[in-house]
Amino acid sequence: MSILLTNETRAVVQGATGRIGQVQVRWMLEYGTKIVAGVTPGQGGTTVHGVPVYDSVAEAVEKEGANATVLFVPAPYTKDAVLEAIAAGIRLVVAVPEHVPVHDAMVMRRAAREAGVWLLGPNTPGIISPGIGKLGIMPGNMFKPGRIGIISRSGTLAYEVAGYVNEAGYGESSLIGIGGDPVIGPDIPDILAEFEKDPGTDAVVIVGEIGGSAEEEAAPFIAQMQKPVVAYIAGRSAPPGRRMGHAGAIIRAGQGTVADKARVLSEAGVAVARNISDVPRLLAEKLKAGTKAR
Amino acid sequence: MRLLEHQGKEILRRYGVATPRGSVARTPEEARQAAAELGPVVVKVQIPSGGRGKAGGIRPAEDPAQAAERASELLGSTIKGFPVGSVLIEEKMALQQELYLGLTIDNRRGVSVLMFCASGGMDIEEVAASRPELVHKLEIPAGAKLAEYDARNLIRRAGFQGKTLVQLASIAAKLYQCFAEYDLVVAEINPLGILADGRVVAADCKMEVDDNSLFRHPEFGSEKDELQDPLEREAREIGVTYIKLDGDIGIIASGAGLGMNTMDLVLEAGHRPANFLETGGGITRELMRRAVQLVAKHEQVRGLLVNLYGGVNPLVAAAEGVVDGVKALPQRLPVVVKALGNQQQEAHAVLEAAGIPVIKTIRTEDAVAELVRQMEGRSA
Repeated sequence: MSILLTNETRAVVQGATGRIGQVQVRWMLEYGTKIVAGVTPGQGGTTVHGVPVYDSVAEAVEKEGANATVLFVPAPYTKDAVLEAIAAGIRLVVAVPEHVPVHDAMVMRRAAREAGVWLLGPNTPGIISPGIGKLGIMPGNMFKPGRIGIISRSGTLAYEVAGYVNEAGYGESSLIGIGGDPVIGPDIPDILAEFEKDPGTDAVVIVGEIGGSAEEEAAPFIAQMQKPVVAYIAGRSAPPGRRMGHAGAIIRAGQGTVADKARVLSEAGVAVARNISDVPRLLAEKLKAGTKAR
Repeated sequence: MRLLEHQGKEILRRYGVATPRGSVARTPEEARQAAAELGPVVVKVQIPSGGRGKAGGIRPAEDPAQAAERASELLGSTIKGFPVGSVLIEEKMALQQELYLGLTIDNRRGVSVLMFCASGGMDIEEVAASRPELVHKLEIPAGAKLAEYDARNLIRRAGFQGKTLVQLASIAAKLYQCFAEYDLVVAEINPLGILADGRVVAADCKMEVDDNSLFRHPEFGSEKDELQDPLEREAREIGVTYIKLDGDIGIIASGAGLGMNTMDLVLEAGHRPANFLETGGGITRELMRRAVQLVAKHEQVRGLLVNLYGGVNPLVAAAEGVVDGVKALPQRLPVVVKALGNQQQEAHAVLEAAGIPVIKTIRTEDAVAELVRQMEGRSA
């Protein structure tokens, strides 16, 4: 089982004909993802790796029954592409591009929430439900089917955590990249609620990083969850006041440090890992203790 | 990109917000001429930083000769780490009351937030921390307009009425227009001053433009904030994020989270990172070659750890770039690479053929340990 990206998902790729889009279409197809169309205005009637390309998302919805999209369009066009997808009735929007203006991200977030559409990103590696498919840029060979849900702000860090989780004999139900930017579509509790409902997920790992307060604000929701939650927060060694690559990862005036986040999450019953290598052990302990007794 | 005070005020004037009369001077002579038209003035250094007053960067002058003198003291000096290239010569104004008006983004909720406080002139973060009830806030949803009546209702709560209230609300609406149209992430007028005759002027102005939006604001050029460190400047040219630190192990990672995690593990192993370097998703062979050479330029670097994922990045090109970079280094530097994901086997083969140790498991701590072994001259 999985969340958001399931056997019902029929995806379009916006920007499928671009340099990155073409490569990613191939890798998503090779992974077994149901990619039903590409969309690039002006390229309608062509194909990419055998997938038909349309000029608009609405046309892909009409002709191919698409219900999800993953975007590989340049940052300046991301907002319009997202709004187009929402207007066409798409239910899951995966906004991969980085460097999207924050005012655009605010508009995207509002439009998605008002329409009840899942928006991942901007600046997300995407989503993978191992064994079912992937919408995004994560390398498929790092994941395997299983019963652990993963939520991450960072792509590469999520791959790393999945690697350790798999090494210990687990696997993932779904991995959700929420986005590394300051303003993104999902709040962590939105995703946690889906994992809590999913019969195919036994426990959730939150992969966080310094900056902001998204992890802390998820604490009250986690405190009333039935399924166990483990967290790892990167950036213990980061100097305050500097943006660590992700625009969202910056420690301001003593807030958003690893210690702050770890404290608040621990109080909510989360097992917080000091290093990623501790994640499998904490998962095992939590799962052994059972769902209720934490 | 942080705008200078005079750039921010120029934008405010375009939207009809009054500012003190003044002009920018780059020489003492220009300062003298500017002051000749203004009477008593204040000479203000134009640097992208707050706290200029406390640092001695804002000085009064009674006449043109004194203005020239103040300008010659300030021009060419360094204040708060920034070289002073220009000063703003501005008419001195007697403010009866100093207020605070600001806009920022609540990242978590994805909305703009208007803030008003009747005690301006000081650090708003301190006021918000010690007397939060004095800071009045209004959320503005993305894409919405700020209605003047909403601003009036907000500012009314701070004890203003009548003509002053209407003026303040109008300025708030205009500031929000600037905020939205110029893609600002911070816009502050602090202090917003009330004069004896009741007029309201923006005595100072702080604006920061979202770097990701500069493509649609050509008037600011493509220059982002001036970076102080030459290595950080070079990194920008290459197209990577580089932060110089003071340790002995250089790091190249293909993502921000992975980079931070690698730093944490270097620290855990009893060493310190010499830098944070994140390539983002645009790795090419050339980018990687230059990144390796950049990291090696740090005078304290004794080893280099490269930690990569092939997701959006091409691992084979990355591996070739690492080999190119290492070969071109002036002296031997221990290097260990961990690279997983698409094309991992081909990438490992490229590195091993060049004699570069490769860690093929998920364990970044093993890569750190192997690098430390190499740095200490021990064999595995």
